[in-house]
Amino acid sequence: MYFLRRVAVLGLVAVLSLSLGGCGGGGESTDGAGEPGGGESPGRFAFVTNGVADFWTIAEVGAKKAAEDLDSKVEIAMPAAGIGDQKRMIEDLLTRGIDGIAVSPIDPDNQTDLLNQAAERTHVVTHDSDAPASNREVYIGMDNYLAGRMCGQLVKDALPDGGSIMILVGRMEQDNAKRRRQGVIDELLDRSVDASRFDPPGQPIKGDKYTILDTLTDQFDRVKAKANAEDTLSRYPDVSCMVGLFAYNPPLILQALEQAGKLGEVTVVAFDEDEETLQGIKDGYVYGTVVQNPYMYGYKSVEVLKALHDGDTSVIPEDKFINIEARQIVKDNVEEFWADLNQKLGK
Amino acid sequence: MKRILGILGLFLAVYVLTWLLADVFSGSDRASFMTEYNHVNLLKRVGLYGIISVGVAFVIITGGIDLSIGSVVCLVGVGLPFMLTELGWPVLLAVPVALGVSLVIGLAHGLLITKLRLQPFIVTLCGLLIYRGLARGLTNDQVYGFQTGFKGLKQLAVWRLPITDSFGIPAPFLIMVLIAIVAAIVLNKTTFGRYLMALGNNEEAARLSGIQTDRMKIVAYVICAALAGLGGMLFVLDTNSAAPADFGNFFELYAIAAAVLGGCSLRGGQGTIAGVIIGAALMRLLYNTINLLPWIPNNIEFAVIGTVILAGVTVDELAKRVAARRRAAQRDA
Amino acid sequence: MSESSPEKERPLLEVRQAGKRFPGVRALHRVDLTLNPAEVLAVIGENGAGKSTLMKILAGVQEPDEGEILVDGQPVRIANVHDAMRHGIALIHQELNLANNLDVGANIFLGREPSKYGWIDRKKIREEAKGFLAKVGLNVDPDTLVSRLSIGRQQMVEIAKALSTNARVLIMDEPTSSLSSGEAEQLFAVIKELRAQGVSIIYISHRLGEVKELADRVTVLRDGENAGHLDKDEIQHDAMVKLMVGRDLSQFYPHEVHEPDEAVLTVKDLRTPVHPAHPLSFSIRAGEIVGMAGLVGAGRTETLATLFGVTPAVGGEIFVNGELVNIQTPRDAIRAGMALAPEDRKAQGLVLEMSVRENLSLASLNRDQKGGFLNRQAEDAISEEMIGRMRIKTPHDRQIVRYLSGGNQQKVVLGKWLALRPRILLLDEPTRGIDIGAKQEIYALMEELARDGVAILFVSSEMEEILGMSDRALVMHEGRITGELKREELSEEAVMQLATGRGGAKAA
Repeated sequence: MYFLRRVAVLGLVAVLSLSLGGCGGGGESTDGAGEPGGGESPGRFAFVTNGVADFWTIAEVGAKKAAEDLDSKVEIAMPAAGIGDQKRMIEDLLTRGIDGIAVSPIDPDNQTDLLNQAAERTHVVTHDSDAPASNREVYIGMDNYLAGRMCGQLVKDALPDGGSIMILVGRMEQDNAKRRRQGVIDELLDRSVDASRFDPPGQPIKGDKYTILDTLTDQFDRVKAKANAEDTLSRYPDVSCMVGLFAYNPPLILQALEQAGKLGEVTVVAFDEDEETLQGIKDGYVYGTVVQNPYMYGYKSVEVLKALHDGDTSVIPEDKFINIEARQIVKDNVEEFWADLNQKLGK
Repeated sequence: MKRILGILGLFLAVYVLTWLLADVFSGSDRASFMTEYNHVNLLKRVGLYGIISVGVAFVIITGGIDLSIGSVVCLVGVGLPFMLTELGWPVLLAVPVALGVSLVIGLAHGLLITKLRLQPFIVTLCGLLIYRGLARGLTNDQVYGFQTGFKGLKQLAVWRLPITDSFGIPAPFLIMVLIAIVAAIVLNKTTFGRYLMALGNNEEAARLSGIQTDRMKIVAYVICAALAGLGGMLFVLDTNSAAPADFGNFFELYAIAAAVLGGCSLRGGQGTIAGVIIGAALMRLLYNTINLLPWIPNNIEFAVIGTVILAGVTVDELAKRVAARRRAAQRDA
Repeated sequence: MSESSPEKERPLLEVRQAGKRFPGVRALHRVDLTLNPAEVLAVIGENGAGKSTLMKILAGVQEPDEGEILVDGQPVRIANVHDAMRHGIALIHQELNLANNLDVGANIFLGREPSKYGWIDRKKIREEAKGFLAKVGLNVDPDTLVSRLSIGRQQMVEIAKALSTNARVLIMDEPTSSLSSGEAEQLFAVIKELRAQGVSIIYISHRLGEVKELADRVTVLRDGENAGHLDKDEIQHDAMVKLMVGRDLSQFYPHEVHEPDEAVLTVKDLRTPVHPAHPLSFSIRAGEIVGMAGLVGAGRTETLATLFGVTPAVGGEIFVNGELVNIQTPRDAIRAGMALAPEDRKAQGLVLEMSVRENLSLASLNRDQKGGFLNRQAEDAISEEMIGRMRIKTPHDRQIVRYLSGGNQQKVVLGKWLALRPRILLLDEPTRGIDIGAKQEIYALMEELARDGVAILFVSSEMEEILGMSDRALVMHEGRITGELKREELSEEAVMQLATGRGGAKAA
């Protein structure tokens, strides 16, 4: 018993000294650097993602390239355990006196305080997913709603005579997921452009030609995501199209279709550029995908932060939105896109 | 047999209810639940989750717990495609390495718990963190998958034993049945199984009867981790790719819940393999039910499943009390 | 009733025809008890005779199924501890019920703290506590933490606490079981003083010497019934024993003189982890029954545990049949031919949730296995043989052991070991908490095994058992073996002297 207690105490001491050491180390290098317009130092910036994915690896390449070009440093933080993890990472970065943070907020509405707190102490920009209510200086990304409409357009192209559509997505509480989904729905129903609409999931949404059957979430559990696709085929054997809104959804839809012997029978429309999705487009099993430009998210974030750090506010446009446009990838342009992607990933 | 009647009844009730609600009274003329396709999927999932549940049952029977299962699933699930695609190892090397790592993990758990007398909860909780971290570090947070290759290896997850033209029993279910049969024999017909039961009930009495309780417990943890590793392999062969950050999250809790539903007591010394399999099957059935019934919102699935587990365990406990009272009365007479 | 007290006053407390049943056990049957004002009444009986149940009924811990209780001649109902307190009855448990982290004063008034404006009145507690402490002759500050006091002083605090409730009847359950002899003497003085102040005491003990010293009258229980009453002059050792066991000792203990053979177990300078400073040396011969006596905490259980490899020795040698053996685990001990029936059979001897059959075969599975598989035939054979030979009362061999009575549970423990045919049988309190009938069967079994050449070493806290069953007795005190008594040297006085460390002189 005594031995165990001693081990526990030792462990505690070790943890404390590590964390104190970490704080102290960070504190020394921050002298004055956190002040807006604080001068000529090369700058240390952080690029915080909303999770862990290949998508963010591409963004990482872009961010690092920018840092290299601008002679500054960037750290990449990928929270693996959701919103709490992301908060902890941001707080740690602030404690260490980082010169600027680019963040993709997981739950913008409820992270306003955290972002404002960060904005008081350093430069904050959002990327990929915006937090308009906060004091972030600019949002770098695409309009997820418009990208969702682009995705809906792909569905229309694939099924000009109409059909029933199931939407599969990781989490609904994320702003980008909400807006993408709404964009798809509004486009299919030929509604006007208005990102503030919200159709709750759980019941079919019927339009003239298209019916959105439901939206299923999986909380990033791939086994569950695949089960969702399989159960969709059970419940709606005549579903005409499945839309996967998060990068890993389309490949799992393909797996489910392959095992059900329905490859090619059910149209797949995708988001993002997972290799299996791109291969699916080549093979004709995926009609098309809407891709963002994560490389540019990373590059632009660091570039803007560096400018702000050097006191240059001219990089901020009036509407505080730097648009990195989404693109539709279909069979015609998939080869070219893929080659470029591999080059950026260094493959 | 008597001890699994409760859970079997619950399973059948949910099964029939789902059939009635999803197909018979759904207003649609097309069945969604009672189809060959849906049953192939259900059997496959029962197989996958059943394997890891049988593993944890061994540990729970000793009165221990293994919280690291999900992370072992992840480490193997990510490690296997990593070894095959990134490192380019042959299948005949990668698969034994993946299983070997699981065995070593189980052995380490067992040694720490028995020789250093650390609590199983703590050891395996640390395991949960360590293996997840290792998987993420090893892959640098990259998603690894088999792409379109390794069709042969993937047969372990996608092959079906054809019964009719359109219906076949999926390979993971067959593998699980094989494991369950062996596990049931080990538990009921060997001295090792008897020793596990005895030490789960009263470790001190077992030790004083000359049983090498430490060795038995170590073996239990090895079995658990090995089956978690095997499960991880089959899971990733089924999904085709795995992300180190979230692959296998919560799987230890699914396995433990299945074992408890199936009659294992967390105090140790109780449990049947058949019960555990039915427990795992009930959980998978419930997820399927929620997806197939349009009027159950997807997002309350945890609440539904938690309620059913609680109900199952409560009924089981009440049944045990009635049985105990009957036995006491029998002695009195 | 042998109501021979000459006092005209009516009894303070009376129990008439009390009965109490538990599942499977008749704990009390038509029991009478009378307590007069200002007297010490001893209640004696074997373990399982019903003493504890009777006292729990008086203290409101349990309610009787039948019979009535009268206080001052009035029938009363004592449904809970509060009722008992209201009638002035307080029970002092064998295991003390003090809160170690509180001070003496707080313990005395625990749950009845005097208060002022809702705040605990610490000053009043101090003052009143001092008064009660003086009554029991305890000179400590009420602010002292209870955990700092010796067990004997803690007991005085417990008595002071009882007096603070205005108790007229103090029930003391084995109060000397964990006291040193000096502390016991002090307790006796306090008891006599309390009696002089008009408090009545029900004194439960199986130490007949104490009873003889203290008691004005003795009530004897046997098998949950009244076995008799003794008044002042009749309170003699033999008379009490006769009433307790229901016959003469020579009949109860079926002892024959054995012809001891070669030494089977020889221990040289064995040092246990609990008392490493005291090396132990002794030997036991085939066919010999050796008793190990001593007070609680003398190191007897620890000695058996070390012999059996439960807590491996830190020094010394163990020889079995003349060969040196290295015993690090119970498995080693079993290989060397030993078996241990531990003191706490539920915690250490049995797998309670498993069946009679599975418990009986547990130690033999390894020997009988067929390539790792259970050997059902061998298991059947063991189960059938032992249930018959030990006369285990069970509806069938699949009955869960938890539902057996204490005596039958102990038979299962012994049966498990006999299936292995041990050469050395270590028994720790083999008859604790079991009924008279089962006790006799266990004694008979010990005799039978000794006849067959098994060497038996048994630990017992019951003097009668030591005296009745031993060919030879080893007496321990604070970790040492203070003496060895041959059968002809055995007497209660001789054992007690060695057990309390009072003299090296053997009473011959």
